[in-house]
Amino acid sequence: MSAPALGAGPARRTSSIFVASAFASAGLAALMGGMLATWLDFRAKAPTRIASDGVSVIKDWLKKDIAMPEVAATTMMFTFVIACVMAQWAVYSGRRGDKSHTTLALGVTMFTGLALLNVQVALWMQMDLVLRDDAYQTMFYAVTGMMFAIIASAVVFSLVAMFRVLAGRRADHDVLAGHALYWYSTFAIFTALWFVVYVQK
Amino acid sequence: MMTTAVESHAGTARAESAVPAPLSALGRLLVAADHVRIGAALLTAGAIWAVLAAVVGAVLGVERLDAGGALVDAGALTQLFSLHRFALVVGVAAPLALGVSVLALPAQLHASNVSLPRLAAFGWWAWFAGSVTVFVSYLGNGGPGGGDERFVEVWLLGLGLCVVGLCAVAVSVATTVLARRNGQRLAAVPVGAFAALITAIGVVLTLPVAIGTIVYLWVDFVNARVAFGGADLLSSWLGWMMREPQTLILAAPVLGALADAAVRTAKSRQPLRGVVLVGVGIVATVVFSSVTQQAHVFTLGDTPFDTLASFVPYALFNLLPLLAPLIVILLSLLALRAGKPALSGAFVASFLGVGMVFTGLVGSAAMHLDALGLVNTVFAEAATVYVVYGVVLGTLGAVALHAGPATGRALPDTPVILLSLGGFFATVLASLPHYVAGFLDQPAAAATGYDDSGFVGIANVLVALGHALMALVVVAFVALVVSSRRGAPVVDRYAVGGAS
Repeated sequence: MSAPALGAGPARRTSSIFVASAFASAGLAALMGGMLATWLDFRAKAPTRIASDGVSVIKDWLKKDIAMPEVAATTMMFTFVIACVMAQWAVYSGRRGDKSHTTLALGVTMFTGLALLNVQVALWMQMDLVLRDDAYQTMFYAVTGMMFAIIASAVVFSLVAMFRVLAGRRADHDVLAGHALYWYSTFAIFTALWFVVYVQK
Repeated sequence: MMTTAVESHAGTARAESAVPAPLSALGRLLVAADHVRIGAALLTAGAIWAVLAAVVGAVLGVERLDAGGALVDAGALTQLFSLHRFALVVGVAAPLALGVSVLALPAQLHASNVSLPRLAAFGWWAWFAGSVTVFVSYLGNGGPGGGDERFVEVWLLGLGLCVVGLCAVAVSVATTVLARRNGQRLAAVPVGAFAALITAIGVVLTLPVAIGTIVYLWVDFVNARVAFGGADLLSSWLGWMMREPQTLILAAPVLGALADAAVRTAKSRQPLRGVVLVGVGIVATVVFSSVTQQAHVFTLGDTPFDTLASFVPYALFNLLPLLAPLIVILLSLLALRAGKPALSGAFVASFLGVGMVFTGLVGSAAMHLDALGLVNTVFAEAATVYVVYGVVLGTLGAVALHAGPATGRALPDTPVILLSLGGFFATVLASLPHYVAGFLDQPAAAATGYDDSGFVGIANVLVALGHALMALVVVAFVALVVSSRRGAPVVDRYAVGGAS
């Protein structure tokens, strides 16, 4: 009596969406990395002058009267943690075929993303910077505006993933995993921006 | 029931026939999400830009024939030089590199289509819209050095669209190689597919940096213009993406085409295949050079340490990339020797193409030697023309290699070889004289301020002729592809089993 021969299992198929999400994340990281590198270069080369006391040196970069809303910026950092946990919850629920929890998790992720966009707008309004003043203002709006666009793209990703789950595509584990990866990357990108722009200034 | 179905089908056919053929073809192209149409669209648009780039190159050659005369309005010269560089790199090299990858990858990987075909289609349309926008902006006095503010903004928008489109196609290409290998190990895929992956990763990691710069430039340009210097300095901020070694990233598919063409022509296996993959992989080191956004010039320092500190980045970013085409050239010859040595259109075209790419990179490495004093001379322009026309030649070879599997119609060998030789002479004519003129101090991007007597004047005539010849070669190759689809089928000499 011989044991039945086992056929080769189906070849493991790598997810296109997951891989594409990884490449998109890498591209966005390169984009923000380039922008922050230019920011640091400009800050390092900002002109310096001697203060009125004749001793201390002033760097003409961030004006003294501009107050950085650090609380709002740090709140954004912690809000990202919530978004990432929710995105991972969606992956967890999706693997178990739990449609209602998956939808809920994606919905919360999306609304957390909208909250992040709201904080960014509030931060701009609090700072009340005039765009036409000097290099700092120009670069500040450019780099934070790009971050706004990246967060908005993550929100759109959440919306699309949620609609796919609502439409009954429960086997979309790869989309959910790609979605979570995208949010993790967005968090990592924001962390770099937060440190350079809001902490180091 | 069956009758109804037949009638319904006949009715649909009548309805389709009511649509004029060109409109029907346009409709199919608009909704196309298959690799052949997207790849062919990118290659066709790249060929049109190649003709445009060659015409602009010829005009610039004639303009520089007489340093005192003026064929072109002096105010438009900066834009014409900028258009030439844009056309060569973003208009020609980028779509050809990605187009040939999209066209050939599924057949190489035994897949039905590329991954995320709609993303690839979006990328093609974004690049196309962006390149047309850039061209219109030049016509409206925009672009670097442009006098019309609105069209300078339009130029930035168009360039941004082009870059977004190229990144989208690159994501599709990279995902295809990684996700659709049908169980093959990455090291076992054809060298062409591996090279496509290297190009795609290079594009995804470097061109987004350009998007960030474009955003900075746009915000600055429409507001204070205190940080980035306005229209006159656009090229200095974005120049890195249109010069060596960044262009090598776009030449990687040509290296892959040569390696694949050698084994298919000689009906052999690739000796030292791992080394070939390493050679192609060396192209990826260019990513580090590009993201620094700087030229790394070697200067002799006051102390040995200063000299070493200058030499290390120079060697890393200028000498190391030379190994990529060199390794592939040598090992493709070895593959040819290992099997039945023969010549084919695909091999000749891609071999000459990679040779031109190598010559361009050697020129770029020489230009970055401070002692030679070649910076800011026409030498840099010649190096880019060598690399880009090398990509054009290599693409002729890649199309000849993959036309059979991708479209079902192979190309005849003899015309491809003749056109490759014509393209080779065109490339040498359009570039080599400017290498010499660079040593004679003819300045870059200028039509005045140099002595046009003697060889410099002759060099510019030869360069103009070279560009004109290249335009003819590209048009003739497109005609060959079109005629091959209408004429009798040709036996595909590359259609052999087994990967390279």
